[in-house]
Formats: sequence, C-alpha cells, structure tokens
Amino acid sequence: MIWEVFRQEGAGKYHTHCGNVHAPDREMALMFAQIQHGRRKPTHSIWVTPQQEIGEVNEDGATFGGTTDKGYRWATQYNITAAAEEVADSESEQADAEKERGRR
Amino acid sequence: MDLDTVKERAGPRQFSPDDDMPREYREAATRMIQFHANSEIMGAYLERPFIREAPSLDRKLAYSAKTQDELGHGQLLYRAAESLGIKTREQMLNELANGEGKFLNCFHYPMESWVETPMIAFFVDGAAMRRQATLKRTSWEPYAHAMDKVVFEEGFHIKHGESILKELATGSKKEQEMVQDAFETWWPRIIQFFGPTDDDSTHHDFSAEVGLKQMTNDELRQSFLNQYLPKAEKYGLEIPDTPTIEQDEDGNYRVAEDELDWEEFFQIAKNEYDPGRGQIDSRKRAHDAVEWVRETLDEYETTASGHAPQAAD
Repeated sequence: MIWEVFRQEGAGKYHTHCGNVHAPDREMALMFAQIQHGRRKPTHSIWVTPQQEIGEVNEDGATFGGTTDKGYRWATQYNITAAAEEVADSESEQADAEKERGRR
Repeated sequence: MDLDTVKERAGPRQFSPDDDMPREYREAATRMIQFHANSEIMGAYLERPFIREAPSLDRKLAYSAKTQDELGHGQLLYRAAESLGIKTREQMLNELANGEGKFLNCFHYPMESWVETPMIAFFVDGAAMRRQATLKRTSWEPYAHAMDKVVFEEGFHIKHGESILKELATGSKKEQEMVQDAFETWWPRIIQFFGPTDDDSTHHDFSAEVGLKQMTNDELRQSFLNQYLPKAEKYGLEIPDTPTIEQDEDGNYRVAEDELDWEEFFQIAKNEYDPGRGQIDSRKRAHDAVEWVRETLDEYETTASGHAPQAAD
C-alpha cells in the first residue's frame, strides 16, 4: 500500500507534500516517513494518507482560473497606489502569483 | 495544557488541533473566529445586490468576484473555528440564521445606493484588512492559515473599492455630493468598527494573553485613522464634525467617543437593531431557499456507493 507523505518544517507552517512510502499500515507508514522524509530536513510534524484517498484534477481535465480575461480579480490591474502597507503586501503576493502563472 | 502554560507559550501560530487546549482558550477562539466568519458572510450579502446594480461590466465582474471571495473567506473561517471542537459549521450557520450569531456593526446597515459601496469596499474593508494583517500572527494556527489566504485576496478588494471611490470623487458635482453624503452617513459607523475604547472591551485581556489577538482596539483604530483619514481627504471628502477628531502633538488622533451613538452600537451587538434584523432575515431566506441542495448533498454523502474513506470519522 502506498502512503502520501506531508512534512511540516516548523510549528505554524504548512504541511507540504514531500513524497510517498510503501507500508502495510498507518503506523508503519508514519515510521517509514520519519526515516525517509524527516531525517535531514527540519521536521516538526508528518502526515500520511493512503494514496487512493487523494483526489486529483490536473491541467488536462480543467482550465484553472478560467478561459476568459479575469484581470478584474487582480490588485495589480487597478491603477491606484496601495492604501496601506498590508494592501501593498497583498498586491505583491498577487503579482508573484501572476508572474508564476504567466511563466508556464 | 493548562492556562498558565498557554499564556507562557502564547505566540504566533503556536497552537494547533494537535494540542490539548483548555476550554477557555477554545471558547474564546471560537467566539472570535465565528464572529469573523459571520461577518464575511453578512458582508457578502450586503454587497450582493450591487453585482446587479454595478454601472459597468468591469464593475459587475469585479463585484461578483469579490462577493465570491468573501463567501469563501466565511467558509475558510468556519473550518478554522470548527477545528477548536466547540461548535460545528452547521451549528454556526444556524446561529447566524436564527439571529444568535454576532457580526460586525457595519454590516447591520443596509446599503441603498451605488455611491455607498466604497464605504464598505474601501473604508470598512481597509479597516478589516488592518486587523486581519495582524491576525496572521494569531496563536491558533488554522486561523492564521486562513488569514494568509484572506489577506492575499483582500488586496484586490481594497484597490477595487478605492478605484470606485476615486471614480465618484473625481466625477460630476452631483456624484461628489452624493459620495460626501454617503461618507457622512457611514463615517461614525466606520469609527465604531473597532468598538469602544479598551476600558470597555470585555474580551480583549484574555484574548491578548493567549495570543489570539495581536493589537488592542485602540491601537487598531489609531492605525486605521493614520492610514485612511488622509485617504479620505485626498479624495476631497470632508471629515464630518461628529465625532470630533483631534491630533495631539505626537500626531496621534483622539476621537471624542462619547459623541458616538453607543446605544445603537450595543443594540446592534445584541442583534436587536431593526435594519440589522432585516439583513439577518434576508440572508436566512436565501439560505433556506437552497436547503434542498444541502439535503440532497447530505443524502448523497450517506448513501453514495464506493469505498468508505479509511480515515472517515
């Protein structure tokens, strides 16, 4: 049985997918995950979940973000200086996301 | 974990559902996050009519996207609240429908006209964004994670709101007058957004001690005024005489709070303000109208064939 592994680097951070392990049950999956994925990189917590429990949709089956111009959804599209620091931060996060989407 | 340990360890994103948190913490966090979630939902319902009333296609699309975002924020926050194990999502949605669920003062007032929209979409959202940015450092990790996504999206909302304000404030004389009228109506409510001064705030001390809240109401009100009062002036809005706002020698604003209508505020806080009851009931009707969808989904979930998830509880 294959178990997908999610590692969290520190308290408060996100669990992110880092790989998978073969194991007959959850207890052993957690044990193997510790050895394979929690030994060198900083690890605060590990989750495992049976691979067949994961649902997936990918670019072949969906057009993420739609097919029409949705510029109105982005802070960067409004020609106005951000009103406050946290608005500017949000806008720059959006700019990064837009850039990453554009690069693909 | 006992309360002393919680206070000792309290820090940004310090506690997660893995920790055995005392009931006092879980109740305080539930109250705070449920209030926040309810406000997202009620804010979305308040703005929803303006998808239809938007004066251009761009504005219509943007309003539709914004309303969709806000409802999503509500759902995210109910999940974060649910993870405390005090109330289920369904319970919180029912409380909102039957008038027990509390939410932000500004969302108890209906909006009549398009010129009012920047009062919510710029000033109220701007005020909320000030608070939300500090909540990325809250001690309940699922709440902080919800804030990451909320704050990421809000940048668009506030710039969109400001863009509407700019358009009206630089429009015809009639538009300028109308936006000034709307500003005068909404300004005292916006000042009350941060609640009464700390002395009168019932829940702050505990929430601050356990790291749920990061800034006091006074600090937030101050930082809001510092940032947004000049914005109002920039767009030629005249700051109403009531409440009196003075700047001291350090540049800090002092609001003559006793000039505000706290009787109305506390009536609102108890969900006893008539127009607010109207908002609650109209959302309840919309919610009830799609009861059959929820029922169908629940039925499908319990009878659907296929394997039962191993981790289901």
